[in-house]
Amino acid sequence: MKNIYKPKEAIVEDIIVESPTIKTFVLRLKEPFEFKTGQFVELTLPGIGEAPFTPSSDPNIKNKIDVTVMNVGRVTSLLHTSSKNISLGMRGPYGKGYPLDKFEGKDILIVGGGVGLAPLRSLLFSLFVEIDKYNKVVLRYGARTPDDIIYKESIPRWAKIKKVDVATTVDVGDTKWKGNVGLVTTILKDLPVDLKKAVSVVCGPPIMMKFTTLKLLDLGFKPQDIYLSMEKNMSCGLGKCGHCRIGKFYTCKDGPVFTYEQLNDIHDIWE
Amino acid sequence: MHQIYYIESNQLNILFQKLKKDYRVFSPVIKENNATKETDYSYGESTENEPFVFNPYRTVEPLKTFFTPPLDKAVEYFNQDESTEYLPKIIIFGVKSCDIVGHKVQDFVFLEGVEVDSLYRLRRENTIFISSDCTDFKEVCHCLAWEILPHPTEGFDLNLSPLNEGYLVEAGSKKGEELIQQYKEFFVIAKDTQLTARKVKRENLIERLKKHLLPQHLVSKDIVQRLMKEGYNLDTWQQFMLTCVECGGCNFICDTCHCFLLADKKEGNINKKLKAWDACLYANYAKVAGGANPLKTRTRRLRFRFTKKFDFFIDNLGMPACCGCGRCIEVCPGKIDIREVLKDLAKKLNIKT
Ligand code: SF4
Ligand code: SF4
Ligand code: FES
Repeated sequence: MKNIYKPKEAIVEDIIVESPTIKTFVLRLKEPFEFKTGQFVELTLPGIGEAPFTPSSDPNIKNKIDVTVMNVGRVTSLLHTSSKNISLGMRGPYGKGYPLDKFEGKDILIVGGGVGLAPLRSLLFSLFVEIDKYNKVVLRYGARTPDDIIYKESIPRWAKIKKVDVATTVDVGDTKWKGNVGLVTTILKDLPVDLKKAVSVVCGPPIMMKFTTLKLLDLGFKPQDIYLSMEKNMSCGLGKCGHCRIGKFYTCKDGPVFTYEQLNDIHDIWE
Repeated sequence: MHQIYYIESNQLNILFQKLKKDYRVFSPVIKENNATKETDYSYGESTENEPFVFNPYRTVEPLKTFFTPPLDKAVEYFNQDESTEYLPKIIIFGVKSCDIVGHKVQDFVFLEGVEVDSLYRLRRENTIFISSDCTDFKEVCHCLAWEILPHPTEGFDLNLSPLNEGYLVEAGSKKGEELIQQYKEFFVIAKDTQLTARKVKRENLIERLKKHLLPQHLVSKDIVQRLMKEGYNLDTWQQFMLTCVECGGCNFICDTCHCFLLADKKEGNINKKLKAWDACLYANYAKVAGGANPLKTRTRRLRFRFTKKFDFFIDNLGMPACCGCGRCIEVCPGKIDIREVLKDLAKKLNIKT
């Protein structure tokens, strides 16, 4: 009898410090586990609690999964203080991921804010391995301060990949920061994308998603071409516990990736 | 329709005692006898020789408690030898029409969708529903407003309709039919006159209930979703939430409310996930780890409960998630009445109920 609430065991193989508040946990699964980019998992600290995360690694790598975690709550702060080689539980994957087939031949604008770059990194890896299928990948990333930028070493490398264009910004700079200062919407000007065949993918804190979406609509992106990763209080991941409802959808099962067109007429989606 | 039988009251009582040998039998008993109040009936496990009691209307507790108890073990994990649970076969008497309809929502949530909750399914498979016609109603009962009849029409294994000195027994499933075959010496095939008498009794109760409900001008099934969509920004929510003390009672007592939280626990070397009822009227229901809370205010939470019932479920299941049992009305210390909330929306929107 299959129990849908039962987690599989994963070992923390490595812990990478990304920023003062964010760490990436490299997990090795003891049993087969596959996910599609954009789907999420529920991670359990055995006997303590669980929380939802979207893996940040390349889904083509089997049996190893990276989860990038910001220290914001009870479970995440305990995760942050834990050490290598401990056992975690993993349930999932849940939900629908990014519809890569719909991105083929397109200019893909990816806009991330803060730790919201984590799911997007998994998407980027998925796009990079088959970059010939896509016309262009444009990444725009904003963090609060230069210290808060995650994947610091990777971002400049991504910028060198063919067909990939990267720009970053911080809300507040420091003495060493030479780049743009301002909200992520300030680097959404003069985008090297052809609106006739462009899609956009947004992930970040609710307020950032709201203003980015408004900006994208303003630039001429169609509601059906704006993909949003919604963050809700997920518990079961299975469309049963009720917590993640937005309008007629459950974020866990119908999302977490929605087009703006799907959410358009639902009240208070940015709250 | 399945075959309909007749059983005499004293025979039913003997059968009732016999069944307890093979099943755990749960049946309503009078909760407290108070001449100044409506009598309440409550489920209990029937003990040896305890006589059968017929409840004229629904019990206090919702049916869901048998399948998703308030605090349940969801799973044990990372243990070497996991205990497999022994599940007894149970029979539940006294289930009413509203319970059965409301319970469709629980079945939809736990038996359908992405994956099946196997413990729920096992409990469901191990249970026999012996429902019965209502012969009376509570002040808060309003099943008819949602077009639900006060006698079960589907979803039962056996249904009892009181008649003179006995009951008509209708089988509604294979399980029910088998039970009758197993104890066939207790039953005789019902006569046509008895069937007619059942029909008349049923119609009489419907008439009485209509008389009770008509002056209330309740909102009907076909406009309720419109009320949710068009009434989203009305001040109704704000007004009615003022007396809400956030006890969650309306959620917990409702047979269509199904929300739960998964929590982890360690007992000795055993890791467990527990499944605990949650309530959307609770302040932290929708709060995410980062701190954002889309349901910050009581106004939003009250509205969320209603839109779940009358918008979400109409879209996803094709029916409102309310069976008119009125339990939430009785339980609410803030005297928030679901009938009044809906009527207020209709009035403010100028929509005829
Ligand atoms: S909302 Fe109230 S009346 Fe409707 S099914 Fe739930 S408890 Fe009964
Ligand atoms: S029962 Fe009444 S007071 Fe309690 S949470 Fe529900 S609406 Fe609020
Ligand atoms: S997380 Fe439980 S219903 Fe979506």
